[in-house]
Amino acid sequence: MTELATAPGALRQTVFGVEFESPVLLASGTCGYGQEYADLIPLDEIGGLVTKAVSVEPRVGNAPHRVAETPGGMINAIGLENVGLDVFRAEKLPWLDAHLDRAHVFVNVVGRTEEEYATVVAGLDEDAGFLGYEINVSCPNVKDGTMFGTDEAALAALVRRLRAATERPLVVKLTPNVADVGVYARICEDEGADGLSAINTFPGMVIDIERREPLIGNRSGGVSGPAILPMGVYATWRARQSCGLPILGIGGIRTGDDAIQYILAGACLVQIGTASFVDPDAAVDVNDGIARYLERHEVARLSDLVGTLVPGPTV
Amino acid sequence: MEFDCPEIAASAIPGQFVMLGLGLDAAGAWLLPRPFSVGWVGPAGTTGFLVRVFGPGTRALTRLALGERALVLGPLGRPFELEPDRPIECVAGGVGLAPFIFLAAVERAAGRDVRLLYGERDVDAVFDLELLRELTGVEPELYTEDGSAGRPGRVTTGLDPDSEASLLACGPTPMLAALARFAREHDRDLQVSVEEHMGCGIGTCQGCVVRSSDGRWVKACIEGPVFRAEDLDWGGDD
Repeated sequence: MTELATAPGALRQTVFGVEFESPVLLASGTCGYGQEYADLIPLDEIGGLVTKAVSVEPRVGNAPHRVAETPGGMINAIGLENVGLDVFRAEKLPWLDAHLDRAHVFVNVVGRTEEEYATVVAGLDEDAGFLGYEINVSCPNVKDGTMFGTDEAALAALVRRLRAATERPLVVKLTPNVADVGVYARICEDEGADGLSAINTFPGMVIDIERREPLIGNRSGGVSGPAILPMGVYATWRARQSCGLPILGIGGIRTGDDAIQYILAGACLVQIGTASFVDPDAAVDVNDGIARYLERHEVARLSDLVGTLVPGPTV
Repeated sequence: MEFDCPEIAASAIPGQFVMLGLGLDAAGAWLLPRPFSVGWVGPAGTTGFLVRVFGPGTRALTRLALGERALVLGPLGRPFELEPDRPIECVAGGVGLAPFIFLAAVERAAGRDVRLLYGERDVDAVFDLELLRELTGVEPELYTEDGSAGRPGRVTTGLDPDSEASLLACGPTPMLAALARFAREHDRDLQVSVEEHMGCGIGTCQGCVVRSSDGRWVKACIEGPVFRAEDLDWGGDD
């Protein structure tokens, strides 16, 4: 385990009405249900985590290969394999409730219909062990996975319905697969969402040229890792321009300096995904790197830095 | 390649693996860690892995200079499970040799009867046999597909259907599938160590699945990499 180098307090922020000790969370799909990382990193010393997606029924996921390295990143098409609502409630949430103290948990929620999303939220809402929801309207790896995220009316209706169903923090994870992320960010704000995660993976494809077949069992997959860092920063900035919601910046972060780009662009929290596969300590290292940046630039509190991008000349 | 990682050397069980990568500091490179079976453990806390260059990731690993650091996460996964005193026959294809170097050494030292059948495409790919003898204490039975070293043909031709030994295998999937057929036909018990593209090695990314005989996707990293052959779906005539 790595000791945190941060001076206490500098990274602390109040977001969604609670204190986050650190702005760094583990991203959905890369940290299981938390338990898998408990022996590897001090979860309570980072901001928290976002669980693997939870759907009403268990999902078995896609055929292999499901992952492959790509230039500057990786591609995955897991297919939202998950234990389903009942097992999540019976086995995963109680563990999170019992083992996490300061770290905050968002449950990533997925569904094929509005009804399915609402069923998951209704099923979980009274349970202990988590702070809020990250609504996944942006998975590129299942049929219709991005339907809500790329259809303005469908997104508005979904957020409206879920807003009425819960008072917990409601964060919407946006897809980059639209002409302007800002439009969808605004819709989420107008319909009562509490925050945004920007951004999910980019659809991509890798071809096995010897077999002349797609390398990935699902044919296409979602591309993540450092390759998408500039796109994620841009999406965060577009969302910041378009709405006032807190933003969880995600995409390609592997260092504190990467995270600072998101924070300057307007994110108050960040999520670490693919980098955790390369080094399970990545989230802790990013946290320490953010702290070092604050020291180097004599910024008293992280919140003083959020969204302070200096607009360059536009000519 | 050998790494100084005494905790892994002290706790690894044959059949287990590690995720071996360059970490986040690797300048400019983005290399997900790759799974490698623990190949041998040295007396001074070193752990050895068989690294064959297949692409950029393995090439970067082999370019590490003496004294450079890598990120080693492990030991991971389910090892081979052996019955006391029963002889074992290890069938290795290519770099599938790795777990059997470790296993043969441990079991031979404990007095178990160990056969090691080792197949390669051709002589150029063959691991240093002298070193293999030294590491395992077992005389390897070598097969090459083109006959350029050892006996010609597939490694599976060296098996005795009526042997009482436990059969263990690691290698390319077609070889494992052929062995699974052989084991079924001759009522031999067979454990296989499988490989699939792997993201994390600890069950979180759910990338490394293989099909189980009851139609589920099972994770090679935490439910394997060693499975009983009858628990997996080998396709075709099953």
